[in-house]
Amino acid sequence: MIAPDALTQASASDVKANAPRIVLQGVSKTFSSNKGSGTVALKDVDLSVRDGAFVSLLGPSGCGKTTVLRMVNGLIKPDSGSVLVSGKVPEPGPDMGFVFQSFRLIPWSSVRGNVEFALADLLPDKAERRERADRYIELVGLKRFGDAYPSELSGGMRQRVALARALATEPKILLMDEPFASIDAQTRELMQIELMRLWTVRRSVALFVTHSVDEAILLADQVVLMGPRPGRILEVIDVGLERPRWSYDVRAEPRFIELRAYLWDRIRTLVLTDPESDFYGRDLGSAV
Amino acid sequence: MKIAAYRLAFLAALIGLWWLASTMVARNLVPSPWATVLAAQRLIAEGRLMSALGESLSIYLGGYGVAILVGIPAGLVMGTIRPIGKTLEIFVYALSATPRVAFIPLIIVFLGLGPQAKILIIFLGAVMPILINTYAGALNSDQELIEMARSVGAKKSRIFTQIMLPGAVPFILVGLRVGATIGLINTVVAELYTAVKGLGGLLAIYGNTFRMAEYFVIVLTLALIGVIVTEALRFLEVRLGRWRRSEVIV
Repeated sequence: MIAPDALTQASASDVKANAPRIVLQGVSKTFSSNKGSGTVALKDVDLSVRDGAFVSLLGPSGCGKTTVLRMVNGLIKPDSGSVLVSGKVPEPGPDMGFVFQSFRLIPWSSVRGNVEFALADLLPDKAERRERADRYIELVGLKRFGDAYPSELSGGMRQRVALARALATEPKILLMDEPFASIDAQTRELMQIELMRLWTVRRSVALFVTHSVDEAILLADQVVLMGPRPGRILEVIDVGLERPRWSYDVRAEPRFIELRAYLWDRIRTLVLTDPESDFYGRDLGSAV
Repeated sequence: MKIAAYRLAFLAALIGLWWLASTMVARNLVPSPWATVLAAQRLIAEGRLMSALGESLSIYLGGYGVAILVGIPAGLVMGTIRPIGKTLEIFVYALSATPRVAFIPLIIVFLGLGPQAKILIIFLGAVMPILINTYAGALNSDQELIEMARSVGAKKSRIFTQIMLPGAVPFILVGLRVGATIGLINTVVAELYTAVKGLGGLLAIYGNTFRMAEYFVIVLTLALIGVIVTEALRFLEVRLGRWRRSEVIV
C-alpha cells in the first residue's frame, strides 16, 4: 500500500542518522485557570524518542499525557524548556498526524472529504488528493463508505476515518490521544491489531496516550509511565516483546504478565496517594 | 404523501369554517370564499393586485436583501473577532429589544414617505434576527474541530471557510427565516404608516371602506408570500443540513 520512496524520503531528510526524532528537555507548562492559581500540567519533563519507535504514554488522569502530545504537535508551546522534533521547533502540519480521542470528524463532510481535508495543502491537485484519500480509506477497510457522512458510521468506523486522515499525509510522526477510549471493548481489540499492522507497514514514530495498562504494553516498544500533579515522567520501560504481536497471544507471555502487574501496582499507588484523586487514601487491597 | 393528504384535508376544513363564518356573521363582515375568488379575479383583471404586489415585493426584497448583506457579515465579524463582538453585543441586544416601529416617525422626518423610508423600516426589522443568529452560530463553532484543523496545518482562512462558516450555516438559516417573517410584517407596517402604497396600502383602503372580499384577497396574498419565502428557506435548511439534526436557537 505504501510507496517505498516515501520511506527513503523520510530517512533522507533526517537531521542525523541515529539522532532521536523527538526530544523534550526540561519542559514545564502551567495552564492558568480562571481562579488565578495555575494548574501545573508538566514539570521538568525530559523525553527522547528514537526514530521508528512506538511509545506509549501511560498514567492516571491529570498527568499531562495529552499536553505532551499537543506540544510535540506544536499546538501549544512550553513555558520553559525545549521541544524539538526532527531537530526543529515543531509546527502543526502534514508531517505529523494527530488522532484525537473524540474523533473530531467534520460532520458535514463525507468520509472522503474528511480525509481530503488533511491533504489540501499537501496535494493541491484534486485528482491526486482524491486518489490518496481513497487509498487510505481502503487501507482502514472503509472502501464502501467513502461517500457516507460521519453520523452514519459506528464509533469504530469513525475512529478508522480519523486514523485514515492522520495516516493519509504519510506523516513521520503519528500522535494518538486515547484513540480507542470511546470504542467498545471488542472493536478496540481489533483496532489495536489494525493499528499495529498499519504501523508495521510505515514505521513512523508513534506516540500513543492511554489509560489502559494492557493497551500500553501491547502496542509499544517503550512505555513511559507518568505521574500527576505536577505532570512528570516517572519511568521509561522497554517492553521487549517480539513483533508482530498479533501472531501470538501476547497477553499470555510471562514478560507481559510481569510488566502488567508492575505497572498496575505503580499506577494504583499513584492514584491512592494523589489527594486530587477520587480514590485518595482508600484501601483497595494489595497487588493484582 | 400521507402528510400532504392530511394538509389538504385541513385546508378544506379551514375553507369550510370560513364559509360557515361568512353565512353566520351578519352585515357581510366576512366575505364568502366564492366572493373572495371573484374579487381576486376582478383585482387581477384590473391589474391592481399585480402592481401592488410588485411595489410591495420590491421594497420587501430590497430591505431584506440589505439586511442579509449587513447582518451576516456583521455577525461573522462579531463572532470571530472577540473584542468587537464583546463590545457591540450589548448594543445589538438593546436595539433588538427596542420595538423598531418606534423609529418610524424619526425615519419619516429624515427620509420622507418614499421607498427609501420603507426599505429602511424593513431593513431594521429583518437585520436583527439575522445578525444575532449569525453571531450565535459563529460563537458556537466547534473548538475541537478548529484544533483538529490547526493540527493538519490548515491556515486561518481555511479554518474560517471550511470549519467555522459551515458550522454557522444552520444558525444563519434560522436567522434568515425569522428575518424574512419580520421583514414582511414591517413591509405592511411601512406601507400603512408612510405613503400608502402596495399591498399594505390596498389593505388600508379596502379595510376602511368595508370592501371585505377585496380585503381578504390582500390578506391571503400576504400569507402566500410569507409561506413561499419561509418554505424556500426551510427547503434550503433541509438540503444543507442533511448530515445532521440541527439544534439551533431562534
